[in-house]
Amino acid sequence: MPKVMIPTPLRQYTDKKDSVEVAGATVGEILGTLTTTYPDLKKNLYNDEGKLRSFVNVYVNDEDIRYLSKDKTEVGAGDTVTIVPSIAGGR
Amino acid sequence: MIRIGDDAWQVMVDHAEAVFPNECCGAMLGSSDGETKIVTVALPLENVHAGQQATRYELRPEDLLKAEKAARARGLDLIGIFHSHPDHDAYFSETDLKNSCPWYSFVVMSVKAGRYNHAKSFLPNMEQTEAPEEALELPATNRSA
Repeated sequence: MPKVMIPTPLRQYTDKKDSVEVAGATVGEILGTLTTTYPDLKKNLYNDEGKLRSFVNVYVNDEDIRYLSKDKTEVGAGDTVTIVPSIAGGR
Repeated sequence: MIRIGDDAWQVMVDHAEAVFPNECCGAMLGSSDGETKIVTVALPLENVHAGQQATRYELRPEDLLKAEKAARARGLDLIGIFHSHPDHDAYFSETDLKNSCPWYSFVVMSVKAGRYNHAKSFLPNMEQTEAPEEALELPATNRSA
């Protein structure tokens, strides 16, 4: 099953696990199952309209899904899905 | 509250002064007991903003991933992000807010005329609409104007 890596601040919502194996063939399916299993994760990852929050990047292995097929990006059994924040700023 | 240890703070100040007049940025690693976050390691990261770096910073997501791995290897957590405001005060700007992430503390360092001046920490909310100030404790020997 694909593995989802959980960033440190979100592990409080995944029973302190730093990675979770989740069944699914696409990023959308996997994140859907993940947030059903751990409902408190959902508000951290998705806004009220059900879209990924602007500060959430998702990678499949080393590829950013924005440059693949977004939530329809296919994920194989041995793949790793990683949630990485997007951070910038300035005065 | 967030407390920054001597070594980590020195790394942050040195980095902020070294990249002046540009904005610096980096990751803060440490631990938390639920009430107090303690930063023990600071990792300077590259500002990859493609435009004017004197007024903007941007972190490469891959670098954050590396910072997270570095924290894990030390038995620590990635608990905060720092950046500088060259020749401006340490406030959380609209740009900072709109590009923030609520999972971390954000320490902003004011650097004036190339020297560290003062710092503040902020906790942005999920909707990126406000960032209340968080109590920040710096080493007693920290250099300030």
